[in-house]
Amino acid sequence: MKTPSPEFQPTHANHGSGFFRMLLFISWRNIWRNPIRSLLTVSALSGSLVMLILYSALLEGMSDQMVSYATDISTGKLQIHRKAYLDDQDLYATLSWQTLNQLEKQNPELKFAPRLYAAGLASSKQNSTGVLIEAVDPKQENQVTHLLEHLRNGKTDLSMAPIKNDTQDEINPEGYGVLVGTQLAKNLQLTLGSELILMTQAADGSIGNALYRVTGILSPFDPNFDRMGVLMSVPAYQDLMAMQNGMHEVAIKTPEDADLTKIQQHLLQQLAQISTQQLKSGDTLKNLGGKFVVETWKQLNPSVASMLSLSRSMLLIIGVIVVSLAALGMINTLMMAIHERTHEFGILLSIGLKRWAILVMILLESLYLAVLSAIIGAVVGGGIALRFEHHGIDFSSQLPDGYDWAGVVFEPIMKGSISMDQIWQAVILMLVLTVIASLIPALRTLKLNTAEAIR
Amino acid sequence: MEQSFLRLDRCRMRRLYQGFSIPFLALFLFATYTTCATAAEPSDKVDIQALVRHVDNLWRGTTSHADMTMTVKTRHYQRKLTLEAWSRGMENSLVVIQAPIKDRGIATLKVGENIWNYLPKINRVTKIPPSMMSGSWMGSHFTNDDLVKENTFEADYNVSLTFSGMRDGQKIYEITALPKENAAVVWGKVVMDVIQSSLTPTRADYYDEDGKLIRRMTFSDFKKVDGKIVPMIMKLQPEDKPTESTVLEYNKIEFNVSVPQSFFSLQSLKRRH
Repeated sequence: MKTPSPEFQPTHANHGSGFFRMLLFISWRNIWRNPIRSLLTVSALSGSLVMLILYSALLEGMSDQMVSYATDISTGKLQIHRKAYLDDQDLYATLSWQTLNQLEKQNPELKFAPRLYAAGLASSKQNSTGVLIEAVDPKQENQVTHLLEHLRNGKTDLSMAPIKNDTQDEINPEGYGVLVGTQLAKNLQLTLGSELILMTQAADGSIGNALYRVTGILSPFDPNFDRMGVLMSVPAYQDLMAMQNGMHEVAIKTPEDADLTKIQQHLLQQLAQISTQQLKSGDTLKNLGGKFVVETWKQLNPSVASMLSLSRSMLLIIGVIVVSLAALGMINTLMMAIHERTHEFGILLSIGLKRWAILVMILLESLYLAVLSAIIGAVVGGGIALRFEHHGIDFSSQLPDGYDWAGVVFEPIMKGSISMDQIWQAVILMLVLTVIASLIPALRTLKLNTAEAIR
Repeated sequence: MEQSFLRLDRCRMRRLYQGFSIPFLALFLFATYTTCATAAEPSDKVDIQALVRHVDNLWRGTTSHADMTMTVKTRHYQRKLTLEAWSRGMENSLVVIQAPIKDRGIATLKVGENIWNYLPKINRVTKIPPSMMSGSWMGSHFTNDDLVKENTFEADYNVSLTFSGMRDGQKIYEITALPKENAAVVWGKVVMDVIQSSLTPTRADYYDEDGKLIRRMTFSDFKKVDGKIVPMIMKLQPEDKPTESTVLEYNKIEFNVSVPQSFFSLQSLKRRH
């Protein structure tokens, strides 16, 4: 390689910015010397960017749905249990109502929803099956989750009312309203207004049994609940189970931007205090049902949490692949251009232009193409993604119940979710990859033999 | 040892297994004794098939009626239930709770492999689905399966005499039952002690498939009823919860009472109340 003659250097150094401006101008003109080829490259690059943005929007939409299913529908952001309840659903491992009141007083920024669970036997006129009974306080539940609004049919009415039935009972029986899972309703042939019999072993050992009326059918959100869930109010549960003194689970909603681990630690401290007080009054930890356990939704749904981090890295890998493919097109364009312009480069070199200046010029050309593609791609991709966000892809004709993936039930409408951040990330990924790709052909100009090139 | 395994009356053995197979209502157990005693033929060479058939046919005709008290002790509650029970052969039985008042009238009807519960408070009959058969029966340590599975020992287990001699001051046979291949049974092994003279069981240990003792049933307070010696108290002890138990005590039991087949039906279950 020739070393540049020393007498040219000061000239360039003196007019550095003017020289660079000239390079900018020349490269801009250069890309329009073959507009069709440049536009093809731009369309390939912008096409890949659109794909990348759409893919990212879709994945983000799924992630959002996952998080919202994992938290808003039934889990909440945090949950409190007794250890024994987590280990083997011990009916007696409860938190007292007093504990809940205390927590509510100490944490006004958090919303709490108490829940009770039991296993039982549900029978309709046609069939019977084992069920999971869940009891909630509708008012508090609505502040924490959308569980009670997640209805397919009917309305959320958990109050006591007469049951309309066709059998001849001497007295018209009354029953609390319950909501049931979709699959359970199908299996027991329950419709709105149907009578449901629940039988279970109450907390005092007696046989709890009562009639209920089905007032609503819940849309699927958890495969288990869908198959065997019966949801009732806390008083209904207390009547059935002869159990007044506590709850099995507290679901908590935090403010949107709150630090979950910090709140978790905070709650644990408060609960430890309550626990010490309870132990002082003579109860043993074993009788109470073990220690308090506070978990975040990520700990409660580890599969969802790992799905989320997986989808993030998946997005990056797929992004690199898609953009690299388009960048290959970029390499091709530049190769052709450089091959064609060998003569021109030879002349430029012989009139004294530095090799690095030619390299910069070519890199600028590819940068122009990339930036042009980025603008077009971002606008088009962003536009389509926005439409996606509002309308989504509707699969409800094929999958009326949605689909179940990693233990999460998704709605049949696939919705995207797009933010400026995602677009920026995609654009930067594409710019970096294309400029790196264009280095390959551009570096070839450094090896040009001036004498051969002008011939 | 005065009797070797081979010399032990085969019919007696058979009868015994049928007896042991009843983990729950001793009612059925007694039914077995009453009937099989008449079929006893102390001989080494008995046509077992014919004998079993004979015994089966005899059972079908046997009925009983009993009053009993069931005491359930758990960590969280202790309950005393007064029960009235009827049975007809191995196939049919009806148990009605008489006390406490809160549960009075709740009835369990068993016909063959099926169980129904009648709930007077809501005036409904519900069938126990297969998925709930391993659930607790009336809050006790017995499962619904214990009610219906009593017939399968003879068909599902290979039984052998593993000990014969003195234990706890009584001459007993210790009998070990291992499930046959492909048999749909809950237990991995059942070991039972039976008093030689009266053929009354004193103890039954139930093991799981890993050979771990799951629960022990003990029999005591033997009384002569209808010429047979029977235990009036049965205690079920889950091994993993030493403080818990279910005790079933017979206050009164009579055999060969008149209970028609139609008594064990859903209609009569509802009609009784």
